[in-house]
Amino acid sequence: MLTVGTALLLTGPAVLTGCSSSARAPSAPDPLESPARRAEADAALAQSVVQTQTQTNPALAASARALAEDRTTHATALRAELRRARPLPTATSAVPPPAGPAPAAPDPSAARTALAQAARAAQDEAAGLVVTLPGYRAALLASVAACCATHAALLS
Amino acid sequence: MSPYRARSQVPVGALQGALGAEHAAVWVYGVVGAFVPDALSRRLAEAATAHQARRDATQRILIDAGAAPVPPEPGYLTPEPVTDAASALRLAITAETDAAAAWRSVVERSPADADLRGTALEALTDAAVRATRWRATVGATPLTVPFPGAP
Repeated sequence: MLTVGTALLLTGPAVLTGCSSSARAPSAPDPLESPARRAEADAALAQSVVQTQTQTNPALAASARALAEDRTTHATALRAELRRARPLPTATSAVPPPAGPAPAAPDPSAARTALAQAARAAQDEAAGLVVTLPGYRAALLASVAACCATHAALLS
Repeated sequence: MSPYRARSQVPVGALQGALGAEHAAVWVYGVVGAFVPDALSRRLAEAATAHQARRDATQRILIDAGAAPVPPEPGYLTPEPVTDAASALRLAITAETDAAAAWRSVVERSPADADLRGTALEALTDAAVRATRWRATVGATPLTVPFPGAP
């Protein structure tokens, strides 16, 4: 802990003065970066559906709220693992905000379809990583894939 | 593949745990069928068939790895008495939750890049989806958990 904290303090000014992360991190991106971003984007999409559907379609809003909560939990766990594996690159790559969510369709049917497709795509991405990652990460992604499958089933 | 080589790559302990969970699930669905309305019989039969297939496949994997598959227990203790459809379906949710945990453990302990990872992921996913569907049937909340199978 102390070592990590010191390292972050020492490199903080370099980050603030605009040192590019690509120059500092020659290695390939961590394979968990993409599922982490996807989890954040899905949570934002689901949250926007909650906001547009709460009044008119409470059942869909409840499904969306559950998806937003689970995907937020996934993002938190994946970010924690990213930080554990590579404290410095993750700290710098966390600076740019994730891509904004696609605008939620006001039509309930289209919104439900969009959420189901997002859940299915997240399941597929996580499942693809399960086969190649080391044991702990494989188990984490396996649970993410299974959770996304449960949401896809409820939304289909 | 020789049995010796197979044994060295297969997480026998985790697979025995998964087999034990499948034995239990097969037993549970036999109990549940006596308590739930006929309208659910098709879904129950599908779940029972799925667990029987997992049980048989897991036994084959263990035998191929040179291990003796664990047998079913002579009886199982349920967390609560099963007296009606709701308590029966809660038992089904428990069985699926246990199966998910056992298969997640197989994922974690399997070597990367192996067919077994895919099989274990499929079993974990199927158990998680069935648990969620039974929760929806009995009105249990929340319907989902963020990390099915996680301790």
